[in-house]
Amino acid sequence: MKPAAAPSPWRDPVVLLAVPALLYLVLLYALPLLWLLAKSFVGADGLTLRPYVDFFADPFNWRVVWNTLGIALWVTLVCLVIGYPAAFALARAGAALQIAMLVAIILPLSVGVVVKSFAWQIVLRRDGVISQFLVGIGLWDEPQRLLFTETGLVLGAANIFLPFMILPIYSVVKLIDPRLLEAGATLGAAPLYRFVKIMLPLTLPGVVSGIAFVFSMSVSMYVIPSLLIGDRFQTLSTLTGRSFLFMRNEQLGSTTAVILLALAIGVVVGSSWLARRLGSSA
Amino acid sequence: MPNDLTTFSRRRLLAGTAAAAAAFGGFPAIVRAQAREIVVGGAANFAPWMNGTVAQAFEAKHKAKIVYEGSRSLVNLEKMQKNKDKPYLSVVMMDDPVMILAVKEGLIEPLTPATVSNLAKLRPGTVHMDGMWANYLQPWQGIAYNTKALAGGFPAWADMYDPKFKGRLVIPSLQNTEGLANLVMAAAIETGKPIEQAQFEIDAGFKKIKTLKPNILTICTQIPQAMNLLEQGEAWAIPSLFSSVVIPREKEAPIKMSAPKEGIFVGPAGVCLVKGGPNKELALALIDMLLSAELQDKLQPETFAFPSNTAAKPPVGLAADVKVHNLDWAFVAKERGEWVKRWDRDMAM
Repeated sequence: MKPAAAPSPWRDPVVLLAVPALLYLVLLYALPLLWLLAKSFVGADGLTLRPYVDFFADPFNWRVVWNTLGIALWVTLVCLVIGYPAAFALARAGAALQIAMLVAIILPLSVGVVVKSFAWQIVLRRDGVISQFLVGIGLWDEPQRLLFTETGLVLGAANIFLPFMILPIYSVVKLIDPRLLEAGATLGAAPLYRFVKIMLPLTLPGVVSGIAFVFSMSVSMYVIPSLLIGDRFQTLSTLTGRSFLFMRNEQLGSTTAVILLALAIGVVVGSSWLARRLGSSA
Repeated sequence: MPNDLTTFSRRRLLAGTAAAAAAFGGFPAIVRAQAREIVVGGAANFAPWMNGTVAQAFEAKHKAKIVYEGSRSLVNLEKMQKNKDKPYLSVVMMDDPVMILAVKEGLIEPLTPATVSNLAKLRPGTVHMDGMWANYLQPWQGIAYNTKALAGGFPAWADMYDPKFKGRLVIPSLQNTEGLANLVMAAAIETGKPIEQAQFEIDAGFKKIKTLKPNILTICTQIPQAMNLLEQGEAWAIPSLFSSVVIPREKEAPIKMSAPKEGIFVGPAGVCLVKGGPNKELALALIDMLLSAELQDKLQPETFAFPSNTAAKPPVGLAADVKVHNLDWAFVAKERGEWVKRWDRDMAM
C-alpha cells in the first residue's frame, strides 16, 4: 500500500490569510516598482539601455554610488558593533531592566527622523557635546565640528537605525539555551572558542536580519543626509529625489532608483548567502 | 372630508423636499452670482496679507471681494492648465520662471498701461515679455549674518571669499531660487563686469565660486535649517537669503540682514491676468492696485519686500540709492538644469 501523499501547501486554506498582505504589496509596491523599471528601460524609440549606459559613463555617478555604498556599510558596521553586545545585554537582563531597556530602544522610534537629525546637529556642532568631550579629555586641541562631515552622518544615521540591528539579534539570542556555553566550558572550550564556535553561528540569523534592515535603510536614506551633510554629498537617494522633484527627469530618477534597488538587494542577498555558508562551516 | 393640511402623500412629500432643496441649494449660488468677487491664486505664505491688507483695501475701493487660493507657483500653473477652457481664476501671482511657462501655453494675456495705469510707473526690468506679467512687491536678497560673530556687519559680497570665514558660511543650493544670486555675483567678481552682463557668463561664475569651498559650512536646500545654524552661531553668514525670511527674525535672534555695497537682488514675484478669466475689470483693478505705490507702501511692514513702483518708499533699512539687480529669468529657466548638474560636480566635498 502506497503511503498517502502529503497535501499540497497551496490547498491549505491558511494560505488565504496572506491574501490581504499580498494584495497590499502588489498594489502599493510591486506595481509602482514595475512602473519604475519600465520608465528606466523605455526611451523615445522603444526599449533601451541608454539611461544606464549614460549613467555609468559619467565618473561623477560612480562617486555617487561609492558615497551611497560607503556610508551604508559604515552605518551598518557601527550598528553591528554597538548593537551585537547590546542585544546580549538585553536578552540576559532581569525582567524590570529588560523592560526599561526595550522602552529605551523602541521609544526613540516614535520620534521623527527630522527631529532626531536636528538634535544631532546640536550634538555634532563645534560647541556640541562630542567636541567638548574630546577637547576635555585632550584628544583634540581645539573644538572642531563633526556636523556636515561623513563621520557626523555615520554617527547620526547609526543612532537612528540602531534599534533595527539590536531587535533581530535580541530575538535570536533570547532563544539560545545559556547551558550550551556552560556545556562547552565543561568540555574545556576557552571563552573565545565558545563564542566563535557556539554563540556566533547561532546568532547569525539575527545578525543577517539586522544587517539587511540597517543596510537597506541606510543605502536609501534621504532626509538624514540632506540634514546632516547637505547638498555637497550626493547619494543615489538624493540624486533620485532631485531628478523627480527638481529636474523633472523621470527617466534619470527611475534609473538611479533601480540601481539603488539592485545594490540593496545584492548586498542583502549576498550577506544572507555568506551567513549560511559561515553557519554551515562553523 | 379629508384634511388637506394633515394628509401627506409620498408624492407631495418628495415634491416639497425637492423644492426646499432647490431653494436652499440655489440660494448661495444666486448670492454668488450677484456678488462682485474674483478668485486669486498665489503663494500660501502670502495669505495673511492678501486676505488682510489687500482684501480690505480692494473691498473698500471696488466694493468687491477677493477669494484667495494659496498654494505654490507650479500648482497655480496646473490649475490654469486644467481649467484653460473655463478659467475660474482671474489673477495669479507666481514666480517669473513659472510665468514663462504660462506664457508659452497661452494661459495669460498681456497688461497694458491703458488697462493698468501703474504699469508705466514701475522700475525698469519689472515688466516682462511685453507686459505679460509684472513684478509687484519683491522680497530682496542680501547677506544674513550673525551679529555676535560679525559685529562689523557684512559690507560686501566679495568679502565672503575672505579666508577668515573658513567653514562658517552656509549657501543655499542652486536648486533654491535664493542660490542663483551667489553664482551670478561670483561671475561679476570674476569678470569685473556689471551683474546685468555677468549673469550670462556662468562659466566664470563657476570658476570663482569653486574657490569658496573652504569657507562653506554646508550647502543647504532647507532654509529653516540654515537659519537655525545662523541663529545658533555655528554659521556666521548666509549670502543670498530673502529679506522676508530674515528680517522678521531680527528681533528674536542675533541676526541681521545686510544690503552689500554691490547691491541687492530682488525675487521674481510676478502678477498676471488669466486669459479669459471671470470679472476681467475687477482683475485688472486688483493688478493695478498691487502695482500702486500706495498699497506697496502699506504692505511694506508685512512683507519686508522691495517695491516695484518707483513712487513707493524703499524698505526700511535700505538706502534710497541701493543698487537693485534683476536676473534674466528666461535665461535662468533655460540653463538651470545644466547648472545644477555642474554645481553637484564642482561643489562636492
